[in-house]
Amino acid sequence: MNNQILNPGVYLCGGCGIGESISLDALEQVAGKEYKVPVCRQHAFLCGDEGRALIEADLAAGNVNQPIVAACSPRVMTDQFTFEGTPAIRANLREQVVWAQPAGEEDTQMLANDYLRMAITQAAGTVPTVAAPEGEYSHTILVLGGGSTGLNAALAAANTGYEVLLVERDNQLGGWANKWSKTLPHLPPYRDPQPNTINELITTVEAEPAITVLTGSLVTKTEGGPGKFNVTLSQDGSSRVEHVGAIVVATGWRPYDANNLVHLGYGLNTDVVTGIELEELLTNESLQRRSDNKPAKTVMFVQCAGSRDPDHLPYCSSVCCEVSIKQALQIMQTDPAASVYVLFDELRTPGTAEEFYRQAQKAGVVFIKGKVKSVSADLGVTYDDVMLGQEVTLQGLDMVVLATGMVPNSTNPEIEPAENGAEQLLDDVNPNTPLSLAIKIIDNDAKEVVPPTAEQAQASEPVSAALPGGPLLNLQYVQGPHIPMLVDGFSDSHYICFPYETRRTGIYTCGPVRRPMDMAEASEDAAGAILKAIQSIEGAARGAAMHPRVGDLSFPKIGLDTCTKCRRCTIECPFGAIEEDENSFPILIESRCRRCGTCMGACPVRTISFDNYSPNMVLGMIDAVEVPDEFDEKPRILIFACENDAYPALDMAGLNRYQYSAFIRVIPVRCLGSVPLLWVATALEKGFDGIMLMGCKSGDDYQCHYVKGSALAKERLSKIGETLKSLMLEEERVTMAEISIADSHSIPDVIDGFVETIEGIGFNPFKGF
Amino acid sequence: MNQGPASQTILVVGGGIAGITAAVEAAETGYEVILLEQSPALGGRVSAFSRYFPKLCHPTCGLEINYQRIRKNPRIKVITMAKVESLSGQAGDYTVLVKTKPRYVNEKCTACGDCAKATDVRVSNSFNYGMDKVSAAYLPHEHAYPQKFVIAPEVIDTPDADNIKAACKYGAVDLDDTESVFELKIGAVIWATGWKPYDATKITPYSYGASPDIINNLEMERLAAHDGPTGGKILRPSNGEPAKRVALIQCAGSRDTNHLPYCSRICCLGSMKHAVYVREQYTDAVVDIYYIDIRAHDRLEAFYRRVSADPQVNFIKSKPGHVEIEEDGTPVVCGEDTISREVYARSYDLVVLALGMEPSALTDTDAPHMGSRDDYGFIVPLPGDEPGLSSAGVAGGPLDVSMSVQSATAAALSAIQAVRKATAQSGALE
Amino acid sequence: MAVSSDTSQKYDLGFARWVYQNVKGGDKLSMCMQCGACSGSCPIGTEMDHGPRKLIMMVRAGMKEAVFQSNTLWNCTSCYRCTVRCPRGIPVTHVVQGLAAKAVALGYASEVDTARFAHSFWWSVTHFGRTDERLVTAKYYFSFGFIAGIKKSLDNLKIALGMVMKGRMHVGLPHKVSDNKGLRAILEKATEIEMRDKQGGAES
Repeated sequence: MNNQILNPGVYLCGGCGIGESISLDALEQVAGKEYKVPVCRQHAFLCGDEGRALIEADLAAGNVNQPIVAACSPRVMTDQFTFEGTPAIRANLREQVVWAQPAGEEDTQMLANDYLRMAITQAAGTVPTVAAPEGEYSHTILVLGGGSTGLNAALAAANTGYEVLLVERDNQLGGWANKWSKTLPHLPPYRDPQPNTINELITTVEAEPAITVLTGSLVTKTEGGPGKFNVTLSQDGSSRVEHVGAIVVATGWRPYDANNLVHLGYGLNTDVVTGIELEELLTNESLQRRSDNKPAKTVMFVQCAGSRDPDHLPYCSSVCCEVSIKQALQIMQTDPAASVYVLFDELRTPGTAEEFYRQAQKAGVVFIKGKVKSVSADLGVTYDDVMLGQEVTLQGLDMVVLATGMVPNSTNPEIEPAENGAEQLLDDVNPNTPLSLAIKIIDNDAKEVVPPTAEQAQASEPVSAALPGGPLLNLQYVQGPHIPMLVDGFSDSHYICFPYETRRTGIYTCGPVRRPMDMAEASEDAAGAILKAIQSIEGAARGAAMHPRVGDLSFPKIGLDTCTKCRRCTIECPFGAIEEDENSFPILIESRCRRCGTCMGACPVRTISFDNYSPNMVLGMIDAVEVPDEFDEKPRILIFACENDAYPALDMAGLNRYQYSAFIRVIPVRCLGSVPLLWVATALEKGFDGIMLMGCKSGDDYQCHYVKGSALAKERLSKIGETLKSLMLEEERVTMAEISIADSHSIPDVIDGFVETIEGIGFNPFKGF
Repeated sequence: MNQGPASQTILVVGGGIAGITAAVEAAETGYEVILLEQSPALGGRVSAFSRYFPKLCHPTCGLEINYQRIRKNPRIKVITMAKVESLSGQAGDYTVLVKTKPRYVNEKCTACGDCAKATDVRVSNSFNYGMDKVSAAYLPHEHAYPQKFVIAPEVIDTPDADNIKAACKYGAVDLDDTESVFELKIGAVIWATGWKPYDATKITPYSYGASPDIINNLEMERLAAHDGPTGGKILRPSNGEPAKRVALIQCAGSRDTNHLPYCSRICCLGSMKHAVYVREQYTDAVVDIYYIDIRAHDRLEAFYRRVSADPQVNFIKSKPGHVEIEEDGTPVVCGEDTISREVYARSYDLVVLALGMEPSALTDTDAPHMGSRDDYGFIVPLPGDEPGLSSAGVAGGPLDVSMSVQSATAAALSAIQAVRKATAQSGALE
Repeated sequence: MAVSSDTSQKYDLGFARWVYQNVKGGDKLSMCMQCGACSGSCPIGTEMDHGPRKLIMMVRAGMKEAVFQSNTLWNCTSCYRCTVRCPRGIPVTHVVQGLAAKAVALGYASEVDTARFAHSFWWSVTHFGRTDERLVTAKYYFSFGFIAGIKKSLDNLKIALGMVMKGRMHVGLPHKVSDNKGLRAILEKATEIEMRDKQGGAES
């Protein structure tokens, strides 16, 4: 099927001003004369029924099997220009030519001609993608963690028809929820502490035939990918391997160690307790002190004990305000004469939880805004009473409760840290770390390459002390054994609109390991993670990609015959999709792959390619552009534009009819990370006067949907300076522009500014060689 | 009882970020989805935000990916300008009556824009909350999906309508388009009806409407947006001068038993983002944030730290009593600084009311059968409720974007479980 | 009924609970979240030593003496802005008035300057059905003692004369309402209702 002869057909649309602005006949000349495309038709309204019928007739007659539509942007009219399930190759004559250029000008026509040449070349370099799932796919979901989040996750999967393996390190299910006297109200009227139903949940899970519960168990090793994970489990000293399709991590949290809070009296007096410890003292009887079992009539809660504190946890643990309110209410309910105070800095009862706050006030709990200074051994709490405007020391308390925060169990503190992958425990992804390490290694010894050692990885920055312990899944990935973290040790997504984005396809975190949250939210989160786990299993079985190129059947093919084992593809893959075989050759774990092409951008010998996106295809497109010689005084600027942000911004600039230089030629790329330096070098050799990489923001608040595409591109470009110098070319000829999708208005300035720079430097001396 | 097999189709009502997410997540799991949106384009509230906190990234970035997911997925059918009229039945067998408003533009529209040039009539631009005008033949905004024009009802039956029709080369203008009502057979329903800002004029002491320089938080987003009425410049609506002394008033309606008793969760962070908008534009600007409690959860605390580190952003713990208007229209915020005990009256170039979120479903969609609602109108399914109805995003309670998407993903699973169960039961009955 | 005697102890809730139970509107006081809308809405907020918001915090903190000696109780003009705007439904005006009444009952009023003025004002209203500027000020000045009364009167003589010249203060007998008897009856009835409410309130 892949070997069928390509019969392209070119369809030129004259609508939306295209016909008035440029000559379609001239375009037909390009297709027919230059490229000998046998079928070339024009229509004034190609996306209409009649226009599409024209294409469908050729497809049905067998004259054409690869339609090339020269009309609007490939981002729009996708339904109209998809035939038999395959989108047509598109030349963007509307948004990026006639809408952005003056009508009837020679330069406008040259731009259109080049875009058609590039589309025809692209078609020639494109092979239809075919799904390639192989072997057996498991549909079982492994849920790691048997607390309330994990139990809800297991039930959510079972109720959707999936088998579940529920692994809990403790000997019983339930986690911290076993300790709660009561729980927070999450249903209307949101007012009163609710009975703890963890036992019912455990009973339901244990009675569910689709769920296999393994308590006292740990995951010691995880290999494979979505649909094909091989997970080694240890239980009671014996180990076994389970075949699962996806993994949901619900390992939860642990309380911040109150022994670090001596300034708040912890350890100085047994009646200074943490909120967790208080739970065990709260019964249906009135509260008694730990020290002497006497009634605790006056109790103060100290909020943010260790949270929102640069010396302890920098973040807000989200749930402590509501938990203290719950506990205060419980104390008041058993002893209405008790004096209960909550000392807070900012009281955080978001959403309908405000009702819970009011309920506590109604019951007579006294809320005091203040910053705690110290708690003494005799239970004196000293603080700045902000509302009274004076320092107050509250004496004579029977008990002080410290509302300690949540620390994510993104590592297992009960086991030894792993030898490698320490850099994974640093805050957020450091996009440059893996690459710079890789380059350092490659520079040192191009042939004998060793993986980055723990010392090398650790050399960059110290590992956060808050996160001791070993990996949860012990992933056998080149990128290390841990699930990557975002900030503060939480394994959350970096994307606001895609909270289940994961850097380890098929592995999803939920509950407080992802973000501090209460049980009700964690239960909802568990359902979300299970849905993504199901999608990753079904996607893997179809050979289709997960977010953001959902359903993409293409995947990188690695030609081992020319591979130099440089390891760049394995190291730079943001998703850890490329492993190494025993001979150090890269092998793709296809179901982990997200099809961004970062490996392709990394490969120095262009031996990695997709069927519909390859170095040769793009090189062909670069070569298809007619570069006038310098006497024509028409410079040519090549722009590689990220298809997620920069390319839509270019389209919207056209939609707004913003005008900019006609000397640019744009090639959309899956990600700037997929752009190899070879493309840049080739374009310069070809005579392009300037090259611009247009992509999204890098750094802490990066926008790249493939994590580090822009950062990698920046890093790679920083290496090209030397090459340019050696060619006697100015460094300014190659640049990178940060363009977000909302930057359509600044497109003309960015483009025209660069064209001006290039015109200032002068023409590329390689032109015409 | 059931007529034939249960319907497996999932109806998502509301095409904002929650509805879009619920729809694509369900469709990408293999289910047929119909996504209804009452306005002419998807995207809802977030599409009119300039940026998201705390990353200060643009909502269009994620929406673009989601629209591409919709474009590529044949299982999703999007119906715009549509509302649910009524709903009856049970999981696997709902009958939903849908009513659509006329767009006067059909599927043939290419968004070429010739129609807009054919009329001089300008109508209020609802995307910019009426702060400017657009042609009566308009594309809702530059990133609109579907990318189809709309003809404003104001010009229908006028000569301009005929001019607009004549200008379209593609036969895309349909002046005879009418309201229509049709029936859908549905297996499960996800209400993603979202929110609307609390009516600021009900908070009389804050004088919204008495001066053009008192605006709300949604209008502030449009002022900051490059495609907003000022091209992204934070200018005083009264005179177009830069707004350099700005007051941001929190809890305008929220946490107030006279208005919305609950906390709307997003306003604190939203206002801190607004402070950044102003400070990015004017190095000499001063922003005062009036608040009761700053509610910056989890890692959002870092955003609070970042904004409060700016010496020209002041956090003032005070719920202002009222906003007075000077003779020249300048708003004056009056209240008590609860920490210093100073009773202040401060003039500002611009006052922004951080309005709370009210569930849209309160009045906009009075389908009789939405499931359990709480006292505020949020849709909160209770244990033992009909399994085929769920809510996603702010329809179920005040949430930020990330939590809305989380909730929508869970709602998609819940809807899938409901249709699976109904199918299994109807299979058993056959 | 007794107020906690121990007021030096911060946040002894004895006083707060006494206020919650015995002061009109006090049962809602625990709902205060210290937002400041009341003090910020007060038209004479700048003239108050504490303002209603802080006064409520002081009640919670058990600062009985300071609460009863506060001029906030006496400067309230009963405009009800605070009550209308309170986001927690606290009848702030009633609470302030209620605390003022307790201050009188507990003998704090004589120590407070504004309370003396209020007393003089009330005396004039109940006697004539009107306020007579001369008599109200005179009664207020002489409440400080005879010598002090003379001195204060002389200090303000110039203002008084000015007012007379401008027709802002009349000379001659005090104006009275025409039906002074009716006024008495109204006031007696009001007192009766207040007492009845108080007893009823104590029962519930």
